[in-house]
Amino acid sequence: MTDRRAGHVILGVNALVLGYLPAAWQSPLLKKDSFVDPAYWETIGRTAERGTLDALFLADVPLLSDPAHDANPIRLEPTVNWGHVAAATERIGLVATASTTFNDPFELAERLLSWDHLSGGRAGWNIVTTRGATAARNFGLPDVPLRDDRYDRAAEFVDVVRALWDSAVTGADVSHHGEVFALDGRLRVPPSRQGRPVLLQAGGSPKGRELAGRVAEGVFAAELTKDKAIEHYRLVKRLAHAHGRSPDDVKILPGLLLTLGSTEEEARRRNDELHDAGPAAYSVQWLSQSIGHDASKLDLDEPFPEDVLAAPEDPQTFQGSMGFRESIVAQIRRTNPTVREYLRQTRYSGSGHAGFVGTPEQLADHIEDWFHSGAIDGFNLQPDVLVDGLEVIADELVPLLRRRGLYRHDYDTDTLRGHFRAAAPTPRFD
Amino acid sequence: MPAPYLALGLAGPHLVELTGSAALLARWDALPAAFTVLGLDRVEGSAPAGQTLDSSAVGAALAGRTARGRFLVVASPQRDHPYNLARRVASLGHLSRGRSGLLVGVRDAYAGVDPATPARAHAAARAVRALEQSWPYDSIVGDTDTGILVRSNEIVHVDLDGEFPIAGPLTAPEPPTGASVIAWYGPGAVSPGPVDLVIGEGGSVPVTPLGATPPRDAAGVLLRPALGQTADELLTAAEELLAEGFRPVGPGSLRAALGLAAPARRAGGRAAFPVPQPNPSLPTSRSRS
Repeated sequence: MTDRRAGHVILGVNALVLGYLPAAWQSPLLKKDSFVDPAYWETIGRTAERGTLDALFLADVPLLSDPAHDANPIRLEPTVNWGHVAAATERIGLVATASTTFNDPFELAERLLSWDHLSGGRAGWNIVTTRGATAARNFGLPDVPLRDDRYDRAAEFVDVVRALWDSAVTGADVSHHGEVFALDGRLRVPPSRQGRPVLLQAGGSPKGRELAGRVAEGVFAAELTKDKAIEHYRLVKRLAHAHGRSPDDVKILPGLLLTLGSTEEEARRRNDELHDAGPAAYSVQWLSQSIGHDASKLDLDEPFPEDVLAAPEDPQTFQGSMGFRESIVAQIRRTNPTVREYLRQTRYSGSGHAGFVGTPEQLADHIEDWFHSGAIDGFNLQPDVLVDGLEVIADELVPLLRRRGLYRHDYDTDTLRGHFRAAAPTPRFD
Repeated sequence: MPAPYLALGLAGPHLVELTGSAALLARWDALPAAFTVLGLDRVEGSAPAGQTLDSSAVGAALAGRTARGRFLVVASPQRDHPYNLARRVASLGHLSRGRSGLLVGVRDAYAGVDPATPARAHAAARAVRALEQSWPYDSIVGDTDTGILVRSNEIVHVDLDGEFPIAGPLTAPEPPTGASVIAWYGPGAVSPGPVDLVIGEGGSVPVTPLGATPPRDAAGVLLRPALGQTADELLTAAEELLAEGFRPVGPGSLRAALGLAAPARRAGGRAAFPVPQPNPSLPTSRSRS
């Protein structure tokens, strides 16, 4: 895979509220309630648009984790949040996460298409199935269904939503009587400039990837190593092909946790300071949830025991993401670090999603390398602190990528689907 | 008694018309009306119109594109769950700077045939209010000395049972302007309860068809165009009525505009999180933490 690819990468930014590190809220650029401040969100939208970025993403779970030291668990409802940002912007695509486990397909189809219409065709839906009993208890359920059952529901949910979006164009009623949903009716929402919202998928389980190959136009992947990324890139593109689609119809966009500085040393110092200002328990809790094992019970100065790496106790009830777990275990196996070393190392290299700490030039090198290696169609960048991290992306990274012919100089398209279609085609592979 | 305020009730096609025109939006935003219902036809018992938009999606667009106009988003809990609805209501409260509220109806004409009863609608209204109040805005402290962003021990579970069992808390704090106004459409409002305002039959805000003479002896009057009438015609009529003695309502939050007191908080409530401790850093010594 040494052939140079023609065309440009896709650049998305995953907002993660104020930034991916828990201490992001302590930035002097922010107010104590920036996470719910309309002016903050408008600034994020306008800065992303200044950089001619393709899309802003917003993750979501319908539950509150403890926000004592971290704004990341605090969530406005994504379609409303991005609906408001859409009104303050003109070109940037906006992707809202919504659960197929805790929504109704008719209601969500109507809401997403309405937002797509109102935004001038810039809406995307990141399809997730939602993990964990805490969310279930907000919806009158003791726990979420098993993973395979959640994905069966997701697959039918998505089919119903797509049929309803079609009904808004044809005016013909949908009559759906499936395993999970029974529905007769149609949407009366005017079509959007891009026809209907763009579908994205984020899970790394086999059924998640199957859903991606069948319907998703973008995959928000979790990749720690380039080799694994290439393998998954080809896997999903092949799945799309097997469903009679062009590999170009599904764009692969791994997340990349990001700390940028004008020198590598400055970037590492910024990253260290942000980590030191945040809660220590954050890393341990995150690791525990991600690998399906209580990391606080591990000896910090010993390597990870084999049984911990082997598998979660039960993949059906495991609360974490299978895609994250797979990428974390692959990373640990490569260097066999102690638990403490791993927790410190992930400051710079990421955990679950890959991490990057360095200069904008180094980041441009990294993007160029993965792009020409056929590992990605683009990245979903996740700055440590969004408010200034996004400015560096827009004002420093993007001009570097433009000079290398890897990014457009201005918006050539004005819908999210248009942005995706204007990006580089899939490189050939066997 | 003082002159009534004016409110507007838009049906589906009016939502499409209003949001499709910058000029109409500017007139709407400048109008000193009390509030506008975004999709009254969803819950007033009529057949669905040819076009509509989701009410909260329109609310989000208005929050970003206008600065003064107030609005009620419309919902009935047939298909959607009150936890999702409460998230949208609270989010709109923040992003509109308090200009938004919720109109609850029993049945949504566009939603099909799912179960719809007044009891279910009331349970949804109660849940939305409880969830919005589950996280007091004042608990946000942002103290960089202690590393504490939120005194999260002040956040409570709602522990609702009945029609919609919900543990809570909500994913976002109460808006700084207070819990959102909850209005009810038509007969059947239960008192005491979370409902601040009743629109239509049995309420303090009668609905008047556009073109009819509105009453002057009510707290407010809601002007409702027919499907054959346009949002443009509605705005013109509203501008005239406000020039002819209806009470103009200046900028501000919806709750303040309607002169409504902040709703009482539910007593007690199970703390959702422990008292936050000043923030210790990741241990660097060999000792186990």
